[in-house]
Amino acid sequence: MERKVSISLYAWAFFISLIIFAVGVFIGFTLDSSNMDRISSTLGDTSSRLSSLQLLILMEGNTSAFCPVFTSQLDDIDKQVEKTGYELSYLEDQKGVFDPELKKSYFVQEAESYLLSKKVKSLCGDKSVLLINFYSNTNCTRCKDEGTRILEARDSLESAGIRMKLFSFDGDLGSPVADAFKAEFNVTSYPSIVIDEKLYPGYFDQNQLVNIVKGKG
Amino acid sequence: MDLVMLLNYGIAFFTLFVVNVFILIFLEHRDHYKERPKDTGKRPMVSIIIPAYNEGLYIANCLKTVLALDYPADKLDIIVVDDGSKDGTYKIAKGFESANANAPPSLRVFTKKNGGKGAALNYGIARAKGEFIATMDADSYLSPGVVNELLPLFDEDDVMAVTPAVKVKPDGSWLQEFQRVEYLLILFSRKLLSFIDSVPVTPGPFSMFRAKVFEEVGRFDEDNLVEDQEIALRIQAANYKIRSSMSAEVYTEPPDNMKDLLKQRIRWQRGGFRNYWKYRHLMKPEYGDFGMYFVPLNFATITAFFLMLGLLINSYISTPYYTKYIWVESFGLGIGLFTFIGAFVFITSTYFLYLAVKSFPEEKVKLRYILAFIFFYWFLSIGYNTLFVYKEFRKEATSW
Repeated sequence: MERKVSISLYAWAFFISLIIFAVGVFIGFTLDSSNMDRISSTLGDTSSRLSSLQLLILMEGNTSAFCPVFTSQLDDIDKQVEKTGYELSYLEDQKGVFDPELKKSYFVQEAESYLLSKKVKSLCGDKSVLLINFYSNTNCTRCKDEGTRILEARDSLESAGIRMKLFSFDGDLGSPVADAFKAEFNVTSYPSIVIDEKLYPGYFDQNQLVNIVKGKG
Repeated sequence: MDLVMLLNYGIAFFTLFVVNVFILIFLEHRDHYKERPKDTGKRPMVSIIIPAYNEGLYIANCLKTVLALDYPADKLDIIVVDDGSKDGTYKIAKGFESANANAPPSLRVFTKKNGGKGAALNYGIARAKGEFIATMDADSYLSPGVVNELLPLFDEDDVMAVTPAVKVKPDGSWLQEFQRVEYLLILFSRKLLSFIDSVPVTPGPFSMFRAKVFEEVGRFDEDNLVEDQEIALRIQAANYKIRSSMSAEVYTEPPDNMKDLLKQRIRWQRGGFRNYWKYRHLMKPEYGDFGMYFVPLNFATITAFFLMLGLLINSYISTPYYTKYIWVESFGLGIGLFTFIGAFVFITSTYFLYLAVKSFPEEKVKLRYILAFIFFYWFLSIGYNTLFVYKEFRKEATSW
């Protein structure tokens, strides 16, 4: 028999697939944009809450009578900041969606949250350990792994009754706030961590981190 | 864009393309794909060859349905080839031969040293008298009109083989009912493939050939794991047509336990892969859609399957630790292109399955088996595809 290749069949199938694919790309893009808008809006809300708390501490910051209010509000804000950070990382890691300006705004909030945590810690005798993780998304092979080890260590410490607050900064993003923190703690390489204002450069596994926090490192 | 993302996009587009090709073929032929061929009134001599190895449980039923065919008895030439069975297969078949000795149809029973199904079929073909030769499994049985339904499909000189609607026997186990859905889907897909002259198999349970095709392309490959596919590929390679019927019913006894099912599927996959590799030279425009779409599709599908499996495993392994703190939110954040394409492919595949099942209302498939097929078939296919590659790499021996 005379065989033929059904070119028009495949051309139509290709064309229809292309349209469906394009619609999928458009829907994906729209949903990603909407997610970024929502995160941006959340950052705005959290920023207002941080400003209110800053104002309250400035007004009543010389007495520990307001500590329960400070710690309770700061805990709520910290949880929101942390969740926003995870959402930003998820979109970046899993879908390649990344907005450097939004991330820089997020770092500003983390810095505010860190400074307030430090203030509340000294004012109210809060025993939380403050850990800053300096990483780079462009210039560090073990930074992602270190991020995971820090979270594991935090979960492990929490089950031992030790609370750790975590703040992360991409040192190579060009964020003025992250650069200022790097300068303050003399961070020159990645990964580097700062635990209660003391610098620990290099990679640490979960046990090492736990031991450092427990004061055995 | 990194490699993983690129592969994800590639597989998504490939899947869409394949689904769309089938949808377009269906749409083009939706008004007549179920049409039954008109009886030409011709009643040529038909030989039916039944190779049998340890089929003592089934051979009697099989022969009863062959003898009850709605076809002139003097135009039937039935040949049973006992392939060195160790049970009572030969004795049972001989009993039918004796009982049928004085009246048509002609029923001849032979026995030979065990040599495999291909060799048994060739033994029968060498003794066949028909202008047309049907091959069938000894554990299958026929609807009375099967020969009359198939013969009109040989309406052109270059149609060399015709395949029937192979279905699962009724009242089987849950696993057989599960396979009933799969068989209907295969039937439906094969019918659509026949519209682009790309039928890739002449099923073992029953298929009909022009006798002269065995002279032109040779008989069955005796060393092949899936000789019913190899002969079809050889017919395609000779640029002959294979037609597919939706109405000529043949019933088969599929495996009723998971171990046998896996064994059967691994054999099909191993044999199939070897055959397509052997016939990879058909990937040329002169072999039409079969060469330019169907053969490459087989290689692409198996490649895409393992890439997808790898990507799923990679996605599971590389899921960031922090996802556990936002697992509810991550569902929402994760929705995008792949969710859309996945949903499209899922919906169209389910609709396709619905069309396949709906095409055979007499089958009365229960909804729970359709759902089981939709949600669990993939696990089965992961199992046998992985095992087939593993066994192929280890060069493990296999048998039919």
